[in-house]
Amino acid sequence: MSITAETAKEHAKDPAVLCCRREAGTVISASDLEDPAIFDDLVDSGLLNLDGALTIEQVIGAKLTETRDSLNPITADVVEGAKVVAEAEDEPADIPAGEGTPTAAPQAPIPTMAGPGGVLKIHIGEGKDINLEIPVGGLGNGVPAALPQSADMVGSAEAAISAPEVAGEEKVVRTLTRKHFNITEVKRGPETKIEGTTLYIREGIEAECVENQKLVTDLKLEIITPADYHTYSETIMDVQPIATKEEESEVGSGVTRVLDGVIMMVTGTDANGVQIGEFGSSEGYLDENIMWGRPGCPEKGEIFIKTQVTIKEGTNMERPGPLAAHTATDIITQEIREVMKKLEESLVVETEEFKQIRRPGKKKIVIVKEIMGQGAMHDNLLLPVEPVGILGGKPNVDLGNVPVAVSPLEVLDGCVHALTCIGPASKEMSRHYWREPLVLEALHDPEVDLCGVIFVGSPQINAEKFYVSRRVGMMVEALDVDGAFVTTEGFGNNHIDFAAHHEEIGKRGIPVVGLSFCAVQGALVVGNKYMTAMVDNNKSESGIENEVLGCNTLCHEDALRALAMLKAAIAEADIKGAEKKWNPNVKSTNIELVSNVTGQPIELVENEQSLPMSQKRKEKYD
Amino acid sequence: MKYGDKIIKMEGVIVEVTDGAVAIDLKGRLGYLKVPMRMLITDYPLKVGQEVAWNMSFVEQIGPDVNEKYISNLDTYKKRQEEMREKNSKEES
Repeated sequence: MSITAETAKEHAKDPAVLCCRREAGTVISASDLEDPAIFDDLVDSGLLNLDGALTIEQVIGAKLTETRDSLNPITADVVEGAKVVAEAEDEPADIPAGEGTPTAAPQAPIPTMAGPGGVLKIHIGEGKDINLEIPVGGLGNGVPAALPQSADMVGSAEAAISAPEVAGEEKVVRTLTRKHFNITEVKRGPETKIEGTTLYIREGIEAECVENQKLVTDLKLEIITPADYHTYSETIMDVQPIATKEEESEVGSGVTRVLDGVIMMVTGTDANGVQIGEFGSSEGYLDENIMWGRPGCPEKGEIFIKTQVTIKEGTNMERPGPLAAHTATDIITQEIREVMKKLEESLVVETEEFKQIRRPGKKKIVIVKEIMGQGAMHDNLLLPVEPVGILGGKPNVDLGNVPVAVSPLEVLDGCVHALTCIGPASKEMSRHYWREPLVLEALHDPEVDLCGVIFVGSPQINAEKFYVSRRVGMMVEALDVDGAFVTTEGFGNNHIDFAAHHEEIGKRGIPVVGLSFCAVQGALVVGNKYMTAMVDNNKSESGIENEVLGCNTLCHEDALRALAMLKAAIAEADIKGAEKKWNPNVKSTNIELVSNVTGQPIELVENEQSLPMSQKRKEKYD
Repeated sequence: MKYGDKIIKMEGVIVEVTDGAVAIDLKGRLGYLKVPMRMLITDYPLKVGQEVAWNMSFVEQIGPDVNEKYISNLDTYKKRQEEMREKNSKEES
């Protein structure tokens, strides 16, 4: 199929190939050329050989000297009057590349944006003397033609590049204090209490948990110390911090008390012994299945208070089932919370203060976090009364999955009680939000003004996906931001709304950076022209769901790359198109580029290779 | 994988819909598939009896060896299910 003049301009640097048979003497125009978006597949299948092909910008206006058939590349020997275009220098090394492996819808190809050479250096004196390097091409003809070049886009480009920002006063909107209490031992006893650094859990509390929930038929409580890490466990449904609000504080502000060295862990089956997380499959030996230290995971050395909940047979796949398992577990947590409220101040080992700072004049950004909302085990309780509690929380499925705005501090204070249980390597558990790296990095970055976090559920049906996505677009428009992040957990049909969020935000002229697990197994199922700046959360060696809890979730290294990418996108720097197949080297190159600019090395987290080598991985994946 | 490139269109019928998963019988009695909700792309509300289609290939063995870890998990799982069945039947009687 021939292309339009506009497409030809977008693909000026791509090879020129005839779309149909053309006679000698034809003066070549865009309508004689094939769409470069389809070339990759044709080359892969051997139908097309691009050796020696001139570029589109070279051949337009030139005369064909020989009659050629369709799908023949135009080479120098069959045309006269081909333009000589100044040889582009090597692509500037400081262009971050999209890391996803997006499959673009044919009508909306991901533009390949290779910028010509030349670099404009901008020095921003404030903050930490950060030097931004923007390809000069990005200022003029190198602007990706795929982006809407509306007047205000150009305007904002000028503002980003020429006008030095007038920074207003930093404003602290609210603060959140975390008081840490250390726990070194967990025991059972006649009453729930904390003595020094020992936590006692009342014997017989299990019966009350069972009593409280109609669907729960049994609950076992296990205390797993580091010495017991090599024990079998059912699929881990959730990892939660044990935290409570001090009197009169609400989630997201005031004072929170949290226990260090101990976490809650929810596991369970139905009465027939079927895993509640039937598709979760992180069952097995704990030490072989947990990626220690991921934001959502336990740290090595922590004690787990692990419940194994049995729910009524057949309810594991209905929404009330998993919720009952979580609620029953929360009865134990709540009893610990009540005790924590009365603890002496002298037991506080560390006090942490989080400030929600607005930085007027800096680039205003928002984080859109897509959470699961397809049904049972694709659900989250939003804004419970206690951090990661149950009471007061509303399931986002019941809220219709519409976007809900929260403050960054609410996220860090446990406003999400995650009920998701699918894809152990990529699911974001409750503790993930408590330590959400992107929120933390954006909040602490003096160069950006994080205005808030938007949670949006991912419904099952496409029409509903687009419904919530349009609301995200409107909300982001109303916020008047300069840039946005869109994150999602895991892969599947949530990538459809992930793409839709990019489109809704991108079409308003707002640069957007996406974060998701993609790599091999999570390759995007749809794409659009706004999905150019992508960060892949993959850490696994082979780019797959490796059944290791938390392995492929968003970490600090991803947050840093995403921030650098968004800053580049706001400054209208080009971002190279993603490669056709997943290539882990793109990530390492980006890491290097970011640390070159910031002058600070980025420490990479370990992956499953650091765990005791289970037979499973040895044989299956490596 | 040796035969990974061969993609075949398969069709099936939805035989079970729960809040979290969908079960599909492959047409022609070629098997059964149960997948979590997020693995299905749906334009309409899900109903038993709807027909679905997807691309897939044949299942290949990765190697001749048995993975002891999975065997042990499977044994534990079966044992637990048996225990629970026993317990359930005792409670009923």
